[in-house]
Amino acid sequence: MAMTKAQTGVRSGRTPLRRRLRRIVLYGTIFAVCLTTFFPIYWMVVSTLQPNEYTLHFPPPLFPQEVTFGQFAELFAAHPVAVWIRNSWVIALLTMLVCMVLSIMGAYALSSLRWPGRDLFGLFLLVTQMLPEMLVLIPIYGIYRNFSLLNNLSSLALVDAAFILPICIWILKGVFDTVPHEILDAALVDGCNELSVVWRIVLPLTVPGLVAVAVVAFFFAWNEYLYASILLGKAELMPASVGLSTLKAIGRTPIEQYMAAGLIFSILPILFYLLMQRYIVAGLTAGAVKG
Amino acid sequence: MSNWGQTRTAAGGGQRQGAGRRPVRRPLLPYLLVLPILLYEGILLVYPIARGVIGSFQSIELATNVAPEWVGLKNYQRMLGDPEFWKVMQTTLLFTGLVILVAISAGLLTALLFNRSFRLRPVARGVLMMPWAMPEVPVVMIFIWILNPQFGVINLFARMIPGVDQNPQWLLDPVLALLWMVLIASWKAFPFYSLVILAALQAIPEEIFEAARVDGANWLQLFRHITLPGIGTTLELLVVLACIFSFKQFTLIYLMTGGGPSGATETIVIRIYNTAFRFYDYSYATALGVAGFVVSLVIAFFFVILQARRAQENF
Repeated sequence: MAMTKAQTGVRSGRTPLRRRLRRIVLYGTIFAVCLTTFFPIYWMVVSTLQPNEYTLHFPPPLFPQEVTFGQFAELFAAHPVAVWIRNSWVIALLTMLVCMVLSIMGAYALSSLRWPGRDLFGLFLLVTQMLPEMLVLIPIYGIYRNFSLLNNLSSLALVDAAFILPICIWILKGVFDTVPHEILDAALVDGCNELSVVWRIVLPLTVPGLVAVAVVAFFFAWNEYLYASILLGKAELMPASVGLSTLKAIGRTPIEQYMAAGLIFSILPILFYLLMQRYIVAGLTAGAVKG
Repeated sequence: MSNWGQTRTAAGGGQRQGAGRRPVRRPLLPYLLVLPILLYEGILLVYPIARGVIGSFQSIELATNVAPEWVGLKNYQRMLGDPEFWKVMQTTLLFTGLVILVAISAGLLTALLFNRSFRLRPVARGVLMMPWAMPEVPVVMIFIWILNPQFGVINLFARMIPGVDQNPQWLLDPVLALLWMVLIASWKAFPFYSLVILAALQAIPEEIFEAARVDGANWLQLFRHITLPGIGTTLELLVVLACIFSFKQFTLIYLMTGGGPSGATETIVIRIYNTAFRFYDYSYATALGVAGFVVSLVIAFFFVILQARRAQENF
């Protein structure tokens, strides 16, 4: 170790100045990349907080000149945002519930049990996870129409769950894999049945993974636009994703209310995705990447 | 037998060797666990797809409840003979290809930048991840506002380019509109690719770099002979994933441009939507859907193959 250190120190006879220059360039690049990436979100926040006489002016000031908070109350008064958000909660909670139950079952079967057909089941999940939602929309619309399932928050949640379930199972399978099988075996030998092994050992040991699945399922439904816009036709059933898309910038909704609506809708998903990113990424690449 | 081995590794993706796999004492249990899932996905995904495939050979009038009529290959003949279909396919290919290029390059660049520790790295990483965590509808709202031809802040920066003295009509120009769709889709997607590439970079043992540096390799040689081979399979996998994600992309494009101006951003997914829910031409839309289904199955096939290869390399 000491050896390599000495060698890297000597290796190219680099002066401290050159190294400092390199660091400056490096940090400069990192800063520029972060700034560019973050700018659109920054601009949403600025346009929300700033009175619109500054924003509706060209060129607009890049830093907020004055901050107000009245736009939130005005937004809720002008549009049924509270109803939209309530509908989003209902759909997202139902989706989450269905996904939790089914993905615990599926992940346990994939991770802890050995049975003929297991790999085929895994493959089936991989492929269903990759189908574009659009391709199923028209037949689903026809079927839902025939069975009078349109305009129903629960039936929308059922479809949402069908699309996100494969990813949830993959996330949870990766998490269940980390439970040492000696523990499970010992419990089984001690006379626990499989159900109590799952309930008393696997689930308590994998709480973060369960939270990750809940987050993924919840926010998939929370963010979903396509199915919600087609399967729900009534205004009072609109979830926030569809409701927000009916707002028209500049024309009828003042810009600070428009951006406030986007901000309110984004806060929860940003918070939870950032907290759970490690698990979610692993699930989306279906266990291909460890890290 | 050898075939089985392949699917086995494909499905067993990120499994540690033999982790917690035991023969079941009650052999029916796994099937009891999996049956509800198969039924659920069967009813809500497989059956509708089958219905869609059947429907593509029929003439459907959803609005009138008239029984569907068999028309054979008529929908497909119309599709293949429709120059607009080929234009849509071209746009889809262009959009998907560009998003893969831009998003994965950005992901690779940021992953390389972040593959060293520096103060504030957790903060910077959090900032970088935000676009990925944003729902699509607010992303659309942000960019509709930023690209507004009258007050949009983007014009402030565009005006700095010599020769630009008017605010461009960002979404009314076919080339600019497509470019913006690519940029926005990439902005939203690249943090995810960056995370995945970073995980792969961190899996390369530091000693290899040390040894190569001792031997006098410069950074380009290090990148070409150590970094790139080390993350090669991950990059391949991400290309296929990016292909799937951008092929699926609906909400961003639909809410920003609706496929316009004059079809410049109309990918197959947008076309299916417009055909079904704007022109109420369900049977033709279903045939387009089957075409899309075939394309995505081909991509999925590559994904599975790459997964299998990766899994084999890991063990």
